[in-house]
Amino acid sequence: MYHLFTHRLRSVATTLAVAMTLSLSAAAGCDNRREPSLPSVLDKLRESQIDGQPRIRIGVAATEPLMGELRNGTYVGFDVEIARYIASSLGYEGDQRIEFVPLATEDRIPALQGGVVDLVVSSFSMNEDRKKLVAFAGPYFVTTQEVMVPNRLKDRIRTIEDLRDPAYKVCTSGGSTTEAELEKHQIKALVVKRVADCVKGIREGRYDVVSSDETILAGFLSQHPTEFEIVDMPFGTSETLGIGVSIGDPALRDLVAFFLDKSYQQGRQGLTSPWLAAYHRTLGPWMKQPKTQPQPLDVPKLVDFDDKAPRR
Amino acid sequence: MSAPAAPVTEGVALAGAYQDGPDRAERRARASQSFWTAVVGVPAVFSVLRLGVEAGGELQTTLLLVANVGPVNLLAGFLTTAARLLSTGLVAVFALGAVLRVSVERMPPGIRRPLFVRWMDIVPAWFVVASFLLALVTWPLLYLPLLIPAFVAAFQLTPARLHEQRIPRLLLLAALLAGYGWLLAPTLIEAGRQREVLALLLFVAPPVLALGVTGPLPAAVIRPLASVTEAAVLAMLVWAALPVISTPVLPLTVTTVESTEGVTEDVRGHVVTVDDVNLVLLQERGGVRYLPVDRVRAQVLCPSEEELPRRQLRVRDMHVEDSLLEGLGRRVRPVHRIDAACRTAR
Repeated sequence: MYHLFTHRLRSVATTLAVAMTLSLSAAAGCDNRREPSLPSVLDKLRESQIDGQPRIRIGVAATEPLMGELRNGTYVGFDVEIARYIASSLGYEGDQRIEFVPLATEDRIPALQGGVVDLVVSSFSMNEDRKKLVAFAGPYFVTTQEVMVPNRLKDRIRTIEDLRDPAYKVCTSGGSTTEAELEKHQIKALVVKRVADCVKGIREGRYDVVSSDETILAGFLSQHPTEFEIVDMPFGTSETLGIGVSIGDPALRDLVAFFLDKSYQQGRQGLTSPWLAAYHRTLGPWMKQPKTQPQPLDVPKLVDFDDKAPRR
Repeated sequence: MSAPAAPVTEGVALAGAYQDGPDRAERRARASQSFWTAVVGVPAVFSVLRLGVEAGGELQTTLLLVANVGPVNLLAGFLTTAARLLSTGLVAVFALGAVLRVSVERMPPGIRRPLFVRWMDIVPAWFVVASFLLALVTWPLLYLPLLIPAFVAAFQLTPARLHEQRIPRLLLLAALLAGYGWLLAPTLIEAGRQREVLALLLFVAPPVLALGVTGPLPAAVIRPLASVTEAAVLAMLVWAALPVISTPVLPLTVTTVESTEGVTEDVRGHVVTVDDVNLVLLQERGGVRYLPVDRVRAQVLCPSEEELPRRQLRVRDMHVEDSLLEGLGRRVRPVHRIDAACRTAR
């Protein structure tokens, strides 16, 4: 009797096990054909307004040494290298596929709004006011505001208080966050179009001090290492540089953020990353403190072909 | 096909049903014929069919492909893309065949042996092992646990075969399950976090099911199960064959060609052949292009969209959608670069 019962029980258990294995296999078979749940890089590229464009247009600075500079017909600098990395990740490899558009500081937002450029990689500080006008991917660099003085004044200008002295003519570029920061500290500044004009003016004796991002100033210092000195002043807020994208193209913003994050992740794993390569080739030797890539914000989760590659 | 039941004694029936001489031999021969026809014929037919699909249904393009894709390339290309399907079909047949066979052998003589059982009778053991090995190296890791109940069923490895005494048997089973749990623990936690219910089920359920899957099945279940699974395996093969038929047999590339001086064009397609004069390209969107070799400026290999992963789960740093072979390959060549041209060329 007991034997019959266990035999029956076993038969039922076997039937159940076979049925469940078959159901699970069927479920696996159906699952094998399902669509990916996350959007892919290709999906985003197709959504973006650059889809189908033969060349990508990137706004850069043409007169900021180390960051963005036109030298012998070729654009060089940290921003330009980052721009090249993003462009090649988006499918535009080589300068024949990139149209660099030289932009003055105050033209960056109108150029994006007017569709003159697809991206702006030009020491573009991310702040709340600008986020109402353009979208940002990043940050890809954190910088602070500094002042650069000619050697003749390096002992006399050491503090923010010194800058308020009407005897010194402080120069900065228009439309920059530096201009607003100087105003906040009640420093009267002479506003010109480009930081290069300030440096030129100081060398010609028209201005005494130039204030801007430490990266931009490091660039001019690299051009005239014996004439200037960068003075560390506690302006307080740090600047986060981001890549500007038209507010109407969220897909492109997501892609740029995704590729910045990809470089960031590579750097975190101790591997060489496009960011580190760009930094060491340009800014690295001229910075007082070595920098690392900051973590980009609002990075979307996207699927790409190299997702299956080993991580370790 | 139905054979008259021979009046045999129960003892003889248990020793091995249908030992009635020439009749059995004839049946075996027929089963053997149908089995090997299916194993050899189906891949061969598929290989040719898929060329037609790849050519976009155009007769002349198909002929161009037939002329340029050699039989060895065709077979190798087929095995690369269809080994998974082939091994799935074989594993399903062997697992079901073994369970049905052990069930049928307990039945009174005279019952017709289902097709899978007859196939199981004639297949040499090495072929069954080879099929399981092929499945082991080609199935995605996610589905690999299903191979456990299939293997246990095909070789009738009941828990009793681990050890004759109950306590050591339970200890051995517990050790095996603990090892399995240790191997998959990080993946299971991650799957729970991502709410991947099916992935969790696929990893957890099969080893438990394997404990009871060997059979025998109750008499009432055998006949419906045999017919349903025969139909299901056939349907599965047809259903799963469609994507395999449409998987390209030639590698996908983007070729940059300078059509006129200073103007380049990216052409996305599969390289059919290259000679001294032309590079023959089967465009992804259809049609054949003959590109002069001296105008070709660059060429890169591109992944296809079907290769995009659907899940974000890993087992010990191997992606769950990779097979053991693919996972091993990625360890040998860990850096995967996607060429820029693959992103923009359409």
